[in-house]
Amino acid sequence: MARRYWNINLEEMLEAGVHFGHGTRKWNPRMAPYISAKRKGIHITNLTRTARFLSEACDLLFDAASKRKQFLIVGTKNKAADSMARAAIRARCHYVNKKWLGGMLTNWPTTETRLHKFRDLRTEQNTGGLNRLPKRDAAMLKRQLSRLQTYLGGIKYMTRLPDIVIIVDQQEEYTALRECITLGIPTICLIDTNCDPDIADISIPANDDVIASIRLILNKLVVAICEGRPSYIRNP
Amino acid sequence: MAATTATAAVLSSLSFLSPNPSVSFLFPKSTKPFFLSGSFPSLSLSLARPQPKASDIDTAFFDDLDPEEEVVFDPPTPPEGFTPPPAFDDGPDETEDEIAAAYEELYGPAYSGISVLGNDVFVMDSKVKKTSAFGKVKKDKVRDGFEERVVQVRRVTKVVKGGKQLHFRAVVVVGDKQGQVGVGVGKAKEVIGAVQKSAVNARRNIVTIPMTKYLTFPHRSEGDYGAATVMLRPAAPGTGVIAGGAVRIVLEMAGVENALGKQLGSKNALNNARATVVAVQKMKQFREVAQERGIPMEELWK
Repeated sequence: MARRYWNINLEEMLEAGVHFGHGTRKWNPRMAPYISAKRKGIHITNLTRTARFLSEACDLLFDAASKRKQFLIVGTKNKAADSMARAAIRARCHYVNKKWLGGMLTNWPTTETRLHKFRDLRTEQNTGGLNRLPKRDAAMLKRQLSRLQTYLGGIKYMTRLPDIVIIVDQQEEYTALRECITLGIPTICLIDTNCDPDIADISIPANDDVIASIRLILNKLVVAICEGRPSYIRNP
Repeated sequence: MAATTATAAVLSSLSFLSPNPSVSFLFPKSTKPFFLSGSFPSLSLSLARPQPKASDIDTAFFDDLDPEEEVVFDPPTPPEGFTPPPAFDDGPDETEDEIAAAYEELYGPAYSGISVLGNDVFVMDSKVKKTSAFGKVKKDKVRDGFEERVVQVRRVTKVVKGGKQLHFRAVVVVGDKQGQVGVGVGKAKEVIGAVQKSAVNARRNIVTIPMTKYLTFPHRSEGDYGAATVMLRPAAPGTGVIAGGAVRIVLEMAGVENALGKQLGSKNALNNARATVVAVQKMKQFREVAQERGIPMEELWK
């Protein structure tokens, strides 16, 4: 894995507030090696480690993207939902930004059935088939379509299980993480001071509460994926 | 696997998750994608993790991490004329068509329902298995070389307000006769459905049995699951499998020809089947032990 330059700036991270952790009482003692100090009842993560892990994660994503692997970004915090979707669209990855339905990956055949239904409803809507039905049926189908759009909108291009999954908050997306582990899919996870660093394959200790820090980390990862893709033309 | 114990000693400062042997006996032969899971940083999960298939994603950096060491962040120097690329929000706004075209280029039209580049929208239909009109899917019995044997079918009851709901619970052992077995449970309203479900479950948790060339075990072992304890002992060729009920079926499906086994604790069929699997997993081949200890095999027989 060649190490490349990812423009990871420690000052930038300090500005975004990546180094803040959660309150002292809520910490997970397994995070002890990644915590550098305790200030005003909040743990401060060690930014050099974060930067190192982030650069290694970016290298991994770069390599994987150049080998045409499929990624999935999972982040359901309502504050960060739309910025997460934009980041994923920018990187041309699949994403889940509303609730992660249980069994989305482990029960993939059932998810596929739903995706089929979604596609059929979309084609019907595009060809105007919904207008020919009575009003009540059309309203029901439209409601179904909007539900499927919110939950499955980000994975509508997913043909098989993803190769790497990026999870934004470990506490919130614990089910998603568990599913990936049972299936053996490598995961990259943003860890805060109350999370367990041993579960995910690559954990990046960072702040998962502040949108700025999530955006910063996602930005770096997205840039890594974009650059890795062979079809990407770098805009000057 | 030997490397993991070495690095585990280095990472002794972290408290480990205790390896949980009853979780996910996923075998690499199954159809799920597997990776060289460079688990960060603890590798004690290697007992519960599936054996990774060699893959081209190299996550080996995270295997030798020592959390106590001083990490110095020294990024490589930026290339000349490096401008930071725009953030994902600031970049030029893309129209929906452009986004759809980009996605389609990468993944094909998949389930989106629209095709900007002119591909067939219904490309995913061929992947759907057609369910026959009668509702019973005709599956071939012999699928992947595994034979199924039913250990026990029981009728179990759930009492609800309206009365008793009856289900059937089937315990099935699946194995090729070459050293791979799996035990599975399944419940359904009909016996056949339950047997099929349990066969699917069994194929998911398959273990390999270490066998010698005389089709017996390398050494004695005991295993327990719940209240069932099973003792297994190797035997000379020509003995046959001398064991009762569930233990016998598991050993026969594994292809073991000569063995002695005894159910010491409870006589519950499912638990005894699982206990034999546990006992068998504890066994090691002589070659492995000699390798781990770093001594020639002859020393082990002294």
